[in-house]
Amino acid sequence: MSLSKLADIDRRVFYWILFIALMVPFLSPIGFPITIAPNTQDLYDGVTGDEVGEGEVWILNFGYGVSAWSECHPAVTVCTKALFREGAKIIITGTHYDVELTYNKLLDTVPDFDDKVYGEDYVFLGYMTGGESVVAQLGSNIASVFPQDHFQTPYDDIPMLEGIEDHSDIAGVLSSDTGDYGGHFMTQWQSAYGTKLAEIGIAMNGSTDLPRWQAGNFFGVSVGSRGGAELELLIGELGEATTAMDSISVSHLLLILAIILGNIGVITDKLGGKN
Amino acid sequence: MAYPTATLDVIGLWVGWFLMLMIYSLPLYKENVAYRFAEHLFIGVTLAITAITNFSNIMRMCVTPLMQGDILMIVPLILGLMIFTMLIPEYRWISRYPIAIMVGAGFGLGIRGTIKPNLQDAIIDTITAPTGGGLVDWFNYIWVAVGLVCSILYFMLTYEHSGVLKTPTRIGRLFLMIALGGYFGNTVLFRFTMLTGRAQFFLQVLKLIPM
Repeated sequence: MSLSKLADIDRRVFYWILFIALMVPFLSPIGFPITIAPNTQDLYDGVTGDEVGEGEVWILNFGYGVSAWSECHPAVTVCTKALFREGAKIIITGTHYDVELTYNKLLDTVPDFDDKVYGEDYVFLGYMTGGESVVAQLGSNIASVFPQDHFQTPYDDIPMLEGIEDHSDIAGVLSSDTGDYGGHFMTQWQSAYGTKLAEIGIAMNGSTDLPRWQAGNFFGVSVGSRGGAELELLIGELGEATTAMDSISVSHLLLILAIILGNIGVITDKLGGKN
Repeated sequence: MAYPTATLDVIGLWVGWFLMLMIYSLPLYKENVAYRFAEHLFIGVTLAITAITNFSNIMRMCVTPLMQGDILMIVPLILGLMIFTMLIPEYRWISRYPIAIMVGAGFGLGIRGTIKPNLQDAIIDTITAPTGGGLVDWFNYIWVAVGLVCSILYFMLTYEHSGVLKTPTRIGRLFLMIALGGYFGNTVLFRFTMLTGRAQFFLQVLKLIPM
């Protein structure tokens, strides 16, 4: 076979190889090493130790849906565990319409919920829409955005929310996104009031989030599944992200191989043409 | 999370598994009826969920407080209804008012918090030299500084990109291409991670790996 034909391989061949190759590491883990990035370390340090006080109230915002579970959820799981273990209370909100599914998933993946009481240690306020405007409104009056929680309990009847009125009663915000709600919290909370803010984003958001972390707007950033795997390593409880990392690494290796093969084909074709 | 035992949950799991394969039949095989069915089902269900969620949201945040006496809530409700005049060509102009209010409010809110983090903090971080950093830190510092200046020069369209501006604008274009390549690369990585999640789900449903 001429090398120039490498550029013309049917894409379905690559898709089949990819689909099958991605499954192999789940059946037989490879164990690629994972190193901790400084932005992930900062995120972990910010939700553990002296950075979190007993009884502090944090907001955890789900800005991702089911399709991004593999990217965001492992890091969210670790951060929730860490906050609970430091004695913090968590208000869960969502800016993605399937937030209820993600909330239920979190109840499954964080065993610490078993020891916590709904309404006293954590509360699920539900879905909010309105982009940057609603994030700004949340900062000035939480009850105006959520007159009741997701289960229709009036805001004033939830013990944990007694005295929680606006940004000044919130110790920190963890925003997990496929979009840019982290950016909205940055402009309307971190910049406006100095609220501690961290971002758990998909890999695609990394190039936006990391400069914000470097500039000090986010105290930490988790980038995609890789960030989740690093956090699982830091908390010492390996989970979904660690399991998936081998498969993700294999997919990247295959992609690099496909790029090399395709380029060999194109270059060979061009050289042949000149001859 | 353990493998579900309730009949409805198991059925849901297998329906999801088959629908996933129906969607993947397009890239792995070719356009076919199964793919079309799954695609239309997905779009229909997504639209239904979005409509219901948004309707519930309006009821919760606007209609309920209005019924409880918060008369001001009539304003967003009317503004929202005005947008629907877009569907009637002769009254289309009415929809411009709520859109103008939304754009104005969004712009005002955006400006309030944008200047410090997106401009001031970013500029300070870019021009602050590394303290006690190694060679790599200094390389990054100079690399970013050169990239920033040259990229901005590339967008200076009031002068022709020739003479003194020729070299820096070309360097700027290269930096932009690298940055856009980086964005694209990150996007591809995200899609691959999603695919990894599906591969895991494929095996979990077949009970080949734990759920």
